[in-house]
Amino acid sequence: MFDLTNEILQTMRNNKLRTALTGLAVAWGIFMLITLVSVANGLTASFRENMMRADNQKISVWGGVTTTPYHGYREGRRINLKNNDIRNIQRTQGADVTAVTSEIYGTAANISTNTTFVDASYTGVFPSTVDQERLDMVQGRFISDNDMKTRAKVMVLPVEYAQQLFPPEGNNAVGQRVSCGGLSYLIIGVYKGRWHRTVYIPYTTAREFTEDKDKLGQMSVILKGVSSEEEAEGIEKDIRRTLASTHDFDPDDESAVWVWNGVKDALTVQGAMGILNVGVWTLGLLTLLSGIIGISNIMFVSVKERTHEIGIRRAIGARPRQILTQILMESVVITTLFGYIGIVLGTGLTELLSSLDSSGDFLGYAHVNLGIAFQVTVVLIVAGALAGLFPALRALKVKPVEALRDE
Amino acid sequence: MKYAIAGANFFMTFATKSVIPTSNSTKVNAPRGPVTFMITLKDINKTYPGAVPLHVLKGINLHVDKGELVSIMGASGSGKSTLLNILGILDNYDSGEYRLDGKLIRNLSENDAAQYRNRMIGFVFQSFNLISYKNAVENVALPLFYQGVSRRKRNVLAMEQLDKMGLADRAHHLPGELSGGQKQRVAIARAMITNPAIILADEPTGALDSSTSRDVMALFKQLNREEGKTIVIVTHDPGVGEQCNRIIRISDGLIVPDNSPLAAAGADNRICRADV
Repeated sequence: MFDLTNEILQTMRNNKLRTALTGLAVAWGIFMLITLVSVANGLTASFRENMMRADNQKISVWGGVTTTPYHGYREGRRINLKNNDIRNIQRTQGADVTAVTSEIYGTAANISTNTTFVDASYTGVFPSTVDQERLDMVQGRFISDNDMKTRAKVMVLPVEYAQQLFPPEGNNAVGQRVSCGGLSYLIIGVYKGRWHRTVYIPYTTAREFTEDKDKLGQMSVILKGVSSEEEAEGIEKDIRRTLASTHDFDPDDESAVWVWNGVKDALTVQGAMGILNVGVWTLGLLTLLSGIIGISNIMFVSVKERTHEIGIRRAIGARPRQILTQILMESVVITTLFGYIGIVLGTGLTELLSSLDSSGDFLGYAHVNLGIAFQVTVVLIVAGALAGLFPALRALKVKPVEALRDE
Repeated sequence: MKYAIAGANFFMTFATKSVIPTSNSTKVNAPRGPVTFMITLKDINKTYPGAVPLHVLKGINLHVDKGELVSIMGASGSGKSTLLNILGILDNYDSGEYRLDGKLIRNLSENDAAQYRNRMIGFVFQSFNLISYKNAVENVALPLFYQGVSRRKRNVLAMEQLDKMGLADRAHHLPGELSGGQKQRVAIARAMITNPAIILADEPTGALDSSTSRDVMALFKQLNREEGKTIVIVTHDPGVGEQCNRIIRISDGLIVPDNSPLAAAGADNRICRADV
């Protein structure tokens, strides 16, 4: 074995340029495959993480304006959602619905302590928001059902505001009081969010500050386990129908209420991600394939170049299998060695990209999957063997006497 | 390309893990008969197929004794290259019978042919055919590599051979750093290292100047005389031919009988037999 390795190394050293070119083709193919697949995986992962969480299937509804006359009403009538609609939807919808919520967006609010203040905006929300928005509670708790019932003057701060109001760390914020709009609020929690920097107060508390206490700006229907776009569309239709019967508008009138079907969108994005993945793998494998063709080509030339040498070896008694083994091993050693270099470089670049994106929203999830690296290595070794096999078999077809003549 | 073959080996000692059965070569003192001939060719025919098939060997009959130093001479196109290739088991023949050291060489598989070449035949070529990126000792040791001899052992044996050729100090030089005569001596060392039954030399002096040629021929004669090697040399150089025990002339695919005019023309050469 040592002798064979030695023979191979000697041949490789003797053909530095050829070895380098072959290696480059392989390393490049692997590098591209690893990088592409890792980045694509990272993109998919961050999309999934940030936008289309399975537990965040949501259909949002806003009031609109009718465009068709209905039940004696003229077109152009404004439809305003009411508090009752929440209960109606909850009652009429099936098991897919986990919650029906609403939000009230406050105008700019000045939140202050005795010593400092921040200019913020508040949002009145239901308790389920903590899950929908995937808020990471770093201190205290989120708004509870009891807070809702009692319209408690409690507040959940983003970690940035907590730090500004209670410098330097802000980790003693919970239990402190702040004033906002002339009222005193108890801080019950601090959260870390990916996208949000708003102050959460109970929905019922926020509603006290609105002019029309029955008017619902927007309503969110939170769903679970919806797996097809058809299903999502069906639920959307049901919601329209329920609202249409309450508010007396044509259920087919698309603009009477505005609906954003987040479930459908998420499923579409998911499909697109699948296509992206397939595309990237195809691209990567094609690059790898061109690398393999590159090795075959170079191995072929190299074997041809060495016809004379092979002739000498055979004249002095090398058996065909010994020649075959040597050429195959040579090919496998080159592909594996340079493939490994490609894997290392690809991993390096991926990790570099990943670390450059400090927010981690986009490429932060790009990592080389060890399984992929392993599979790619196996593909490489097999490919290397195949790349060497055909030229080697061809070389053996040449009779030693002809090979010796070839100079 | 021409090949010459000569050689006698009174002690066939190639490592006998080989597929080759041990020969009858121990019967050194047996009377000369088919059994003790090193090379026996009976009515060898060879035709190269093609649009116009080329009948190159038209019934070659030939015997070479053990321990003989013979040359095969002939004009180009006479078939001497083909004959050498057949003797060296580098090519097949169509009909007839070739026995090397008593063993019938016919329709061998590539593997068997490789084994026979490796263990029974030592080649010496006009253009040396050393592997350019291997140094002298590695080149000499290569046939043993294919026998699976350990690295240390084959290097020791290769050094011994090089030492015999007076090249011990050149052992770690690449062929490119050696003179023509030195290269040919490395090639002869490589041919000798497996202790083959015969040495086949194809125009061994073709690429050498006259004084180096003399040295190489002296070496062949020494191997023949002192080690009893059977050596067959293909050449068109009468100077080389005349240093051999016997000249076999080949013309138009046939051996020229000794009593023919053509053979008579070269009869003077045979005086040299006395020298050997």
